[in-house]
Amino acid sequence: MTLQFRPILEQWPYLLGGAWLSLEMAVLAFVCGMSIGLVCAALLQFAPPYPRRLITAYVTFATNTPQLVQIYFLFFGLPEVGVILPPLAAVLVGMTFNAGAYLCEILRAGFLSLRPAELEAAEVLGFSRLQLIRLVMMPHVMKVMFPSLSNQFIMMTLGTSMASVFGVEELTGRTLSLGADTYLSVEAFTVAAVLYLVISLVATFTLVLYGRLVHRIKTRML
Amino acid sequence: MLLAACALLAAAASSARTLDEIIASKRIIFGVNPNLPPLGLYDAKNQIDGFDVAIARKIADALGVTLEIVPVGPSDRIPFLLADRVDVVTGGMTRTPDRLNAIDFTNPVNTEVMGILTTADKPYRELNQLDDPRVTLVEVRGTTPVRFIKTKLPKAQVLLLDNYPDAIRAIAQGRADALIDVLDFVLVYTKNYSTKWRVVDVPIEVGYDCLGIRKGNVALTQRMNKEIAVLHADGFIAASWLKWFGHPMLHDPTAVTPVAASQ
Repeated sequence: MTLQFRPILEQWPYLLGGAWLSLEMAVLAFVCGMSIGLVCAALLQFAPPYPRRLITAYVTFATNTPQLVQIYFLFFGLPEVGVILPPLAAVLVGMTFNAGAYLCEILRAGFLSLRPAELEAAEVLGFSRLQLIRLVMMPHVMKVMFPSLSNQFIMMTLGTSMASVFGVEELTGRTLSLGADTYLSVEAFTVAAVLYLVISLVATFTLVLYGRLVHRIKTRML
Repeated sequence: MLLAACALLAAAASSARTLDEIIASKRIIFGVNPNLPPLGLYDAKNQIDGFDVAIARKIADALGVTLEIVPVGPSDRIPFLLADRVDVVTGGMTRTPDRLNAIDFTNPVNTEVMGILTTADKPYRELNQLDDPRVTLVEVRGTTPVRFIKTKLPKAQVLLLDNYPDAIRAIAQGRADALIDVLDFVLVYTKNYSTKWRVVDVPIEVGYDCLGIRKGNVALTQRMNKEIAVLHADGFIAASWLKWFGHPMLHDPTAVTPVAASQ
């Protein structure tokens, strides 16, 4: 065994800072992506044909091109027309753009799963609009969407690793730098893998707990 | 460690081939690093070519012998020489005091300049001006200059990208102000842009790349020096550099004291 973890573990706060940035990026892009996804899903359902086609084109483009390519365009393409986004901003905009499309599809699938009969029954029973959303729509929609939304969030958390290509010093970026400084890349990436695993498991656990407590969705963590 | 091992090897191994033996055998063996383009590289026919090979070929012609090329790596090039597997070694053989303990060097063939690449509209004239939080240096992750900047220019912002073409593009697009690196190897990427590039006049460090020869093989070293002088004088080295690197050498390798004086 020639592995030496001590020099890497001595840089623990540096790596932890990177892990925290990765998580922040994923949360921010997920929340912004949700807003875009929600608007797009609603428009797909209710808007006239022309905007619907526009949104379909966006979803098709964003879900059928790699996120890395999309961010590369934002990072190196936009400066050609005079727009220079800082590295973190370019990555966040790219992640949001990508996530918005996927989340639109997830939310749309959730809305489509609603049965008109359920809504009609609620109306007959005299539910107010708020009660209809809270007591009839949300429990049903969330049950359908929650696993997909959770998966999307975990994938986005792990997907932050490509931000290092654009000079963002998140966990992978810091791992690469540390590996280059210490010549201990295998050890650095082993520690990074453990950190990613911890982030993912904590996020999964939190989501499962949230699902159970708020939406009464019984899912198993592992 | 490596140098100590080399010194031991040198003591244990048999003596190197002399100039007379090389000429009598009608072949000279050059060690070339094929993974250091454009100094050494594999061409379309998988043959080793590049600037080092051009020089080696010319020297072999002058000696009237055939050239044999042996691929060497950065860590085994000196052991190859000490084990008499090659007569002469190239491949970015920068002359350093440590290496001088193990092998002899000819006079410099070329230079490697660690310098500052920026654009004409930037005011930088010396290294210290870059130690400023308003300055963004773009560097390739994992390269030596990154460590250099961390210690010498701690106030500068650093943008780490994955490769040289992207780093050069970042400066061209105005995302970064300058790049510190061995400029000989990166200037080729600047040609893609209409940007007015500028190399800061004062180099950070100049490395003198020579031919490495087994210690004490005096006649061979002297003959190599003679041939190198001819190749400098007739412009062959400058022309080969231009051909392989796409720009003139940044620092004149003949403007130094010959190696014998520095030893």
